[in-house]
Amino acid sequence: MEQFLNRPEFQSAVIPFGTALLVYAGLRKFTAAAWICALFAAFVIAVWLINGVTFTPLTGTRKIILLVLGSLAFAALAPLLIRQIKLQRAVGPLLTILALLWVFWKVVARMEASGILLFLAGGLALIIALSWAFEHIARDNARLHGAGLGLLLGTGLSATAGASALLGQLALAMAAATGGMLLAWVLLGKAGRSAASNHSISTLPYVLAATLFGLAAVVFARMPWYALIPLATIPLAAGLVPVKPDSRFLKAFVYSLPGIVIALATAFWVWQAGASSASGY
Amino acid sequence: MKKLILIASIALLPVNSLLAANYTIDPTHTYVSFAINHLGFSTMRGKFNQQSGSMQYDAASKKASVSIEIDAASIDTGHDKRDEHLRSPDFLNAVENPTITFNSTKTDWTGDLTILGVTKPVTLKVTSINCGEHPFNKKQVCGFDAEGSIKRTDFGVTYGAPAIGEVLDLQIEVEAVKE
Repeated sequence: MEQFLNRPEFQSAVIPFGTALLVYAGLRKFTAAAWICALFAAFVIAVWLINGVTFTPLTGTRKIILLVLGSLAFAALAPLLIRQIKLQRAVGPLLTILALLWVFWKVVARMEASGILLFLAGGLALIIALSWAFEHIARDNARLHGAGLGLLLGTGLSATAGASALLGQLALAMAAATGGMLLAWVLLGKAGRSAASNHSISTLPYVLAATLFGLAAVVFARMPWYALIPLATIPLAAGLVPVKPDSRFLKAFVYSLPGIVIALATAFWVWQAGASSASGY
Repeated sequence: MKKLILIASIALLPVNSLLAANYTIDPTHTYVSFAINHLGFSTMRGKFNQQSGSMQYDAASKKASVSIEIDAASIDTGHDKRDEHLRSPDFLNAVENPTITFNSTKTDWTGDLTILGVTKPVTLKVTSINCGEHPFNKKQVCGFDAEGSIKRTDFGVTYGAPAIGEVLDLQIEVEAVKE
């Protein structure tokens, strides 16, 4: 059993996928935030397997773990606390910017002024692009989670190819959890309250996780910065799919497909660019 | 009054610091290397290519107080891709924590080792000490060989453990020139 738990494919794919599927299936009748609970539980278990429960020293990667969990908790609670739609729209990007500064400032502060400006401008552009694109699909569950799946899959695979298996595994665990939750929705959606989202605020975990894991792979490892450009188009691509099928299976499939194709193509591009971490340790 | 303070300050100085001479570590003749078990199959070796520091050495007692700063990004295992991976957040996280430091806390090779920002006490065993005049530049030089072991997970370097060994054997060979 321990042998399986130590294998990356179980830590980052099988276990988070299964956990999210089961948690969503179990909670879907009781709460509209079942999808958030599913992602939260799956990510906690994946973190325990990949990183352990230690948060000392509090590295950038560990800060990201805490922030992703915090964003999921906030996405569940914020609709109860923040009623105004405009405020909901603003709070997500603002929190992501604060998270960005908390994770990266220690490193960014050592850069020259031009490097600091470039990093801040790039980070801000990424957050605005992702927040804007996700905002347009926030009310369509299949598009929202389909885009989240593709974006985190692409971020995880590209980070792995960019010399950090740790960052890659964590992002892939979130992608697998999204996939598990989406499959549960496809299979059981109508029996419960559906994968209802809390609209604007529900985009926060995807925007925050993709931004922080993506930038960490660039800053802390060797993922080329330009890999973030195709990845940032994934929610836009999910929103542009013109067909509106009735079946949940077709919805999940057609809205996830563009993101998965872009994710695989980007990861292949990063791998071809020579940043691969095929070190064999 | 000033004289009194001066006399008191000198009296309070440890005897060792009065007798010890200051040395600067010669980075071109200093080697920090390590060995670690690789997946239970073999021993993998590596070294750091950039380090600096200083030392106080008391020839009478043969005690040294050492301070070494190692550039974490200079890790070299003879394989570029693996070195990139070792610099990444999976292992040394060299962008966030660019230096590894060792500072003596006693007048020997017992001191604080800092990796990933985590400081733990470490004792190194000195296997060789040789001091004398350099045959070419005529400066006073001291050389030390020391070795020890650390548990990398104690410093938060947890990735791949225990498949990739937890215990890291360290070897440090230092040459330092008297100031």
